Amino acid sequence: MELRKTTVYQAVEAVLEGEVTAHQVIGKTIKNCSVLNEGLNIFTSIAGIDALEQAEAIDRKIQNGEKPPLAGIPVAVKDDLCYGVLPTSLGSAAFNEFMSPVTATVVERLMDAGAVVIGKTNLDDMGQGSTTLSSPTGPTVNPWQAERAAGSAGAAAVATGICMLAVESDSGGALRQGASHCGVVGLRPTTGRISRYGLNAHCSSFARVGVTAFSSENISGILDLVSGFDERDAATAVCRGGISEIIKNPGSEDMTIGYPVTAFDHLEPDLREIFEQVRDQLGSRGYRTKEIDLGLLREGLQAYYVLALAEASSNHARFDGIRFGKGRETDSLEEMYRQSRSEILGKEARRRSIFGTFLLSKGNYDRYYRQALKIWKLVRQHFEAAFNECDLLMLPVAKNLPRPLKEESSYLDQWSDDLFCAPVSLSGMPSLCVPAGQIDQFPIGMQLVGPPFSEKTLLAVGSTSGPRDMGEGPLSQ
Amino acid sequence: MKYEVVIGLEVHVELLTECKLFCSCPNRFASEPNVNTCPVCLGFPGAMPQMSREALQQALTASVALNCEVALYSYFDRKNYFYPDMPKGYQISQYYIPLGSKGFLEIEDNHGSLKKVGIGRVHMEEDAGKLVHEAGGGTAGRSSMVDYNRAGVPLIEIVTEPDLRSSEEARRYLEKLKSIMQYAGVSDCKMEEGSLRCDANVSLRMPGDQAFGVKTELKNMNSFRAVEKSLDHEIKRQAEILDSGEKVATQTLRWNEDKQETIVMRGKLEADGYRCFADSELAPIELTAEEVEQALQKLPEMAEERAQRFVEEYGLPEYDAGVLTASRCMADYFESCLNLYNKPKEVSNWVMGAFSAHLKNAGLEADQAFFSPEDMAELLKMIDEQVISGKIAKKVLDKVFESGKKPRQVVEEEGLLQISDQSELEAIVDQVIAENPDTVESYRGGKSKALGHMVGQVMKATRGKANPQLVNELLVKKIDG
Repeated sequence: MELRKTTVYQAVEAVLEGEVTAHQVIGKTIKNCSVLNEGLNIFTSIAGIDALEQAEAIDRKIQNGEKPPLAGIPVAVKDDLCYGVLPTSLGSAAFNEFMSPVTATVVERLMDAGAVVIGKTNLDDMGQGSTTLSSPTGPTVNPWQAERAAGSAGAAAVATGICMLAVESDSGGALRQGASHCGVVGLRPTTGRISRYGLNAHCSSFARVGVTAFSSENISGILDLVSGFDERDAATAVCRGGISEIIKNPGSEDMTIGYPVTAFDHLEPDLREIFEQVRDQLGSRGYRTKEIDLGLLREGLQAYYVLALAEASSNHARFDGIRFGKGRETDSLEEMYRQSRSEILGKEARRRSIFGTFLLSKGNYDRYYRQALKIWKLVRQHFEAAFNECDLLMLPVAKNLPRPLKEESSYLDQWSDDLFCAPVSLSGMPSLCVPAGQIDQFPIGMQLVGPPFSEKTLLAVGSTSGPRDMGEGPLSQ
Repeated sequence: MKYEVVIGLEVHVELLTECKLFCSCPNRFASEPNVNTCPVCLGFPGAMPQMSREALQQALTASVALNCEVALYSYFDRKNYFYPDMPKGYQISQYYIPLGSKGFLEIEDNHGSLKKVGIGRVHMEEDAGKLVHEAGGGTAGRSSMVDYNRAGVPLIEIVTEPDLRSSEEARRYLEKLKSIMQYAGVSDCKMEEGSLRCDANVSLRMPGDQAFGVKTELKNMNSFRAVEKSLDHEIKRQAEILDSGEKVATQTLRWNEDKQETIVMRGKLEADGYRCFADSELAPIELTAEEVEQALQKLPEMAEERAQRFVEEYGLPEYDAGVLTASRCMADYFESCLNLYNKPKEVSNWVMGAFSAHLKNAGLEADQAFFSPEDMAELLKMIDEQVISGKIAKKVLDKVFESGKKPRQVVEEEGLLQISDQSELEAIVDQVIAENPDTVESYRGGKSKALGHMVGQVMKATRGKANPQLVNELLVKKIDG
């Protein structure tokens, strides 16, 4: 069974029908994983005997007549999501052997459904970034082009066919940019839809847990399993009484897809052309497309960084050396803080903590933080207004091709890669990244953004849009 | 003194709840360190806070008990600073919108009339853990340990307006606040255990001045008495500075109870040095007007009302009612006793007298003593049943306080049973009559006091165990024959 060419539904059927055992699927996946990881640096840790035992337990359940809905599905989990069985590195060199007492709700729910965690995926320094370039263990290599970064390791794990699903965090766009750069599908859900309990968020206001898969269908198949109220994440209270899904049928005449023209002006002509083609294709498939106005992208990006850095300075304050990191004896408390934080936080995380501290400091709160809160609100209003004119809207994901591994880029350049993703994060609305086309061998993704709880509509549209055949796929070279 | 004293108090009160503010760890004292902890209150990555509704309810009750306006919409902020007892590197508190504001409570002022003390804010926050410093003087090899049992315990901070005008008013405010919090069932307010903590801001100005003088902050007072004393000390210090034409410096001072003096602590961060901003991991706190109204309706009886009821319902003198209701646990204790032994004045005498004296000696509250309401009822019943005399009963009470044994057990073990056996007493009475012919004579001569002396002799001979009434009867019968 080749995972890339199989849907989750087919794979589960095969296991339930006894064509293949969960143990065989997982065993093969782990082997595959170790081989591919050598060159790509996708995983920070890879499951072993535990995963095989879980698979055996699933096989026994099946023999007993149970039908776990995700029986034997191999899943990759980003390493800022806690999982008690494997180390949770959080993107810190000091945490490479940290066994968390917590297991994230989303991981628990997937495992309850019969999925098996294959490994923890690589991430930027303390999970802060959309490239993996600042990872303490080095970047994840893009499976389509070994000279460039994958964007997110979970996307690489799916694109290479190692795993059928990846659960990943997305604050400013890491999940979406990874999906775009690796030619797979990634969903950032509506605020409160998927519990974030167990996620070491650097920015709690915008961090969401999402899912990456090879197709929209595969995400549709598991969305309900991971969605819904969790008393341990206050934001999920919106789902307490069930989720009011906005469901519209794709292809119907009355579905309008908004095209914010000015957003695409930020792109180079060749990239822009791809989106124009997609827009025309959507039109020819029976959607109405409509040019709409969507301002404040640049301001949204800036506001996102002000708020995200401020929160990071607070969220990461717990890494003070008292409970985590190497025990050390110092002459003063300040010295202990200095040494511990230098050990736990990498260069990017330190930069963000320092900036965040500055932004919240006396006088600066009003000058920057309060202004950013205002922009946040305005951006949300802009998106809400847009959905008075259309049902969904399309946006680019990345401004550029994936970052080259060898080329130094400034942190500001890297931050501005989030131009199209960060404002969507501010809006709180769901975004599905689907493949839109290719430039040379590089996949290019686009975002379909909808009003709150329109995920099922996004996935339905996502499954009909964009080129579905990406040729031979990654690693064909 | 020529200056007017201006005092404001910041009081932290630990709420009585089952669980901590943001996790399900028990809100309970534990002698073993770090047993009441979990990933949430230890600040582990990925663990998210969940607000306890119970704590919110308690904070709401406190707010309405203090006549506050309650914010129907408020939220938690983070107060950011590093300290080893704070697991997350920030304290979750309410900075921008407190739950309660614009409240007041009433005390007697310096002239004996009622005075409203404004309460600027009542807000919820989490407590920090505790540092345990290894004993030993030198820097070398010295270490400190952290106990997070207290981390995350729900607190409310109650901040007065600068309305207090003397150290005595400050003490009266604290006593009143403690009484209200206890009666409302919000906190046990035990300062020596840290469930009530008080910081004081104090400044001086010329009478009639509108502007406030430069204030200093006092910390580390472990009793109401210490608050009063430290304020007096600080008022005197500031007055001396001003008298000499110097300026008072903005400082935080630490009260040293042993030396009865203040020590300058290092400079404190200004409020906006804490980089406060909204905590987005927690949902906003939303209340309805009905919930606030309900909290107000459900407020338990406060001290004054209860004292009034004691007078009306139990026919107690106002003095007794006042003493018994001075603390809620004393009043509760009294009423628990009454449920078992329904003679209000008798119970009142014993509770206010011997029982209270013991509590005071031991530094205990009524609910902490070995001597339960059941014990009190038992003791009083034994007196009624003439098993023991009132005098012996006091001894029994002493023993119970010391040993924790039951009153009847003490009576039996110590051989304190009252001697009501006529034949046994007759022998002693005969002996006393024989040994005191002069007294017998003067009794016969009409001096009734002489009888009392002889009763005393019998009591002495029986080490107080004789039934005094019976002794009396026997003596009269034998002498008058």
